[in-house]
Amino acid sequence: MTATHLISEDAFASLLDRLIQDMPVMGPVERRDQPGFYRFDRLEKTADLQVAYTTTTIPPKKFFFPPVDEMFTFDQSGPLHIEEQAEGSPFVLVGVHPCDLAAIEALDAAYAFPPADMRWIRRRKQAVIIGMECRPDDYCFCTSLGTADARAPADLFLTPLDEGYLAEVHSPMGSVLLSDTAARQATKNDRKAAEQVLQRKIEAVTARLTTSVSQLADILEYGGLTAVWRETAERCYSCGSCNITCPTCFCFSIEDTLDADLSGGQRQRSWDACQLLDFARVAGGHNFRGDRWQRVRHRWHRKFLYLYRRFGRPYCTGCGRCSRACTADINIVDITNRLVAHFQQEHKP
Amino acid sequence: MRRSEKKRIAFFDFACCEGCQLAVLELEETLLDLLSHTDIAAWREVMTGDEPPYDVAFCEGSICTRADEERLLRVRRDAKILVALGTCAAIGCHNNLRNRIDTREALEKVYGKAARGMDVTEARPVSAVVDTDYRILGCPVSLPEFIAVFKAILTDQPYRLPNEPVCVECKLTDTLCVYEKGRVCLGPLTRCGCGAICTRFGDVCHGCRGLVDEANLAAMPRVFSREHLHAIMGAVASGQPLDEERIRQMIALYNNYPELKIEDRGDA
Repeated sequence: MTATHLISEDAFASLLDRLIQDMPVMGPVERRDQPGFYRFDRLEKTADLQVAYTTTTIPPKKFFFPPVDEMFTFDQSGPLHIEEQAEGSPFVLVGVHPCDLAAIEALDAAYAFPPADMRWIRRRKQAVIIGMECRPDDYCFCTSLGTADARAPADLFLTPLDEGYLAEVHSPMGSVLLSDTAARQATKNDRKAAEQVLQRKIEAVTARLTTSVSQLADILEYGGLTAVWRETAERCYSCGSCNITCPTCFCFSIEDTLDADLSGGQRQRSWDACQLLDFARVAGGHNFRGDRWQRVRHRWHRKFLYLYRRFGRPYCTGCGRCSRACTADINIVDITNRLVAHFQQEHKP
Repeated sequence: MRRSEKKRIAFFDFACCEGCQLAVLELEETLLDLLSHTDIAAWREVMTGDEPPYDVAFCEGSICTRADEERLLRVRRDAKILVALGTCAAIGCHNNLRNRIDTREALEKVYGKAARGMDVTEARPVSAVVDTDYRILGCPVSLPEFIAVFKAILTDQPYRLPNEPVCVECKLTDTLCVYEKGRVCLGPLTRCGCGAICTRFGDVCHGCRGLVDEANLAAMPRVFSREHLHAIMGAVASGQPLDEERIRQMIALYNNYPELKIEDRGDA
């Protein structure tokens, strides 16, 4: 069984104080331009951490793979000289909700798939992750994807209780974090209280898929859903916001740029999005998914069919960011349920 | 990469605020780096003189008179590469709004008796009058794009206009969506490349870079029908229905030559 401790709010605050002195600590902070909205950013002080944040626009994957990531610089003024850009230094990521933990685990699998992405892997090794129990909003549907109680790859997972936090230790690093912190062994009652917090959360998640992820994969594979794809595409801008805010999307593009002196430059990669018109445009001008509905379909196929078959898990953790980010109100739960209903309608006994 | 010979460059302005050239001057040291690969043949905003021919002519503004037209045709003849600099030159901007009303009527309203003898034409972007080899969008021009195009020209490379909505750049910079604040933004329809400069600093996107390819205009009214937005837009539109026509009007503030499809991305 996982070792569990109870730490007071003060003890947690002094743990964070110490960490902030030692290394960069990233966590959810309130947006200055719009109170009530949050983003992951570097904590300057412990008080910056917003324990009760709802969600963020961009998931914490940005710390392992920045949206624009400089890979190396080159200089051609003499013989070609290439200098790889280091991935940064060790850091702590705190306040990660279960859906986002599951997403980091999903990306670990995807980026480890040969050929492994060493930049992701090296950055991941530099991070200590402290998870945090969450409060769902209208867009959350983690209970349909089995991620409501995800813990891996957190080193430590905290559930806020009246007395402080129930701290679950999930790795040797998790024990190290608690070693200098005033903590007592969690009691049966503490664990029960945390269990109740989880139960209340699960009950609060109202958005639900009407089918299991394995049936959904079968339905998508069977096909015949073009009517729903086309109808969804009619109101889709192809703006890619659903992809870019997704904690499990991992596509990127690579570009070289020259410095103004024209002899040096850099290669950088940045997050790409399969909903964008030019995503599947290739040399010669052909576009493999030139129609909007084909791109909409592709997104569902990636999330719930192709990657589900390859990695044994859907590449969606129910965080709801895509639905929230969509100005056209395309809600992933609604559309998925419409697909299921359409399939059932077509295959009435 | 081979360094090109020094290119002779020139800047010209037509009907515009010359804000694009000012923006370029704000590049300061980067501009000096770029200019070190060139000789300046003409640039009225910073020096006197004009010595054609040119390897590269940057043309800012719209073409509104016969004299403009003749001058532009002359520049085109004297330039190997012609660049439309900024939204006025590339896709039409505010000064093209006067095409909506009778030209004589507009002239008399603004200039009174002095309007007599003014040989004006329909206001058109540079790219509607002559062939352009490159286009740089924005009001004022996006400086990263200016630099990219400048470097592309110096190294004889094509330049591809970014073909994604502004939403992409908002998200990549972790900027809170304007719609979350209950405001209306043309970002989902507008070609990015500006680095989401307006939304990042608290404004909305007004669409100054024009429409992205295959912008889904038909989706916009549905978006505006979302309850909280409807309240706001209702006030803005002062009772006008939030239909596609109204949205086209908003877009047409900058992008009023919609029939001018951006095809010559330099690599076609």
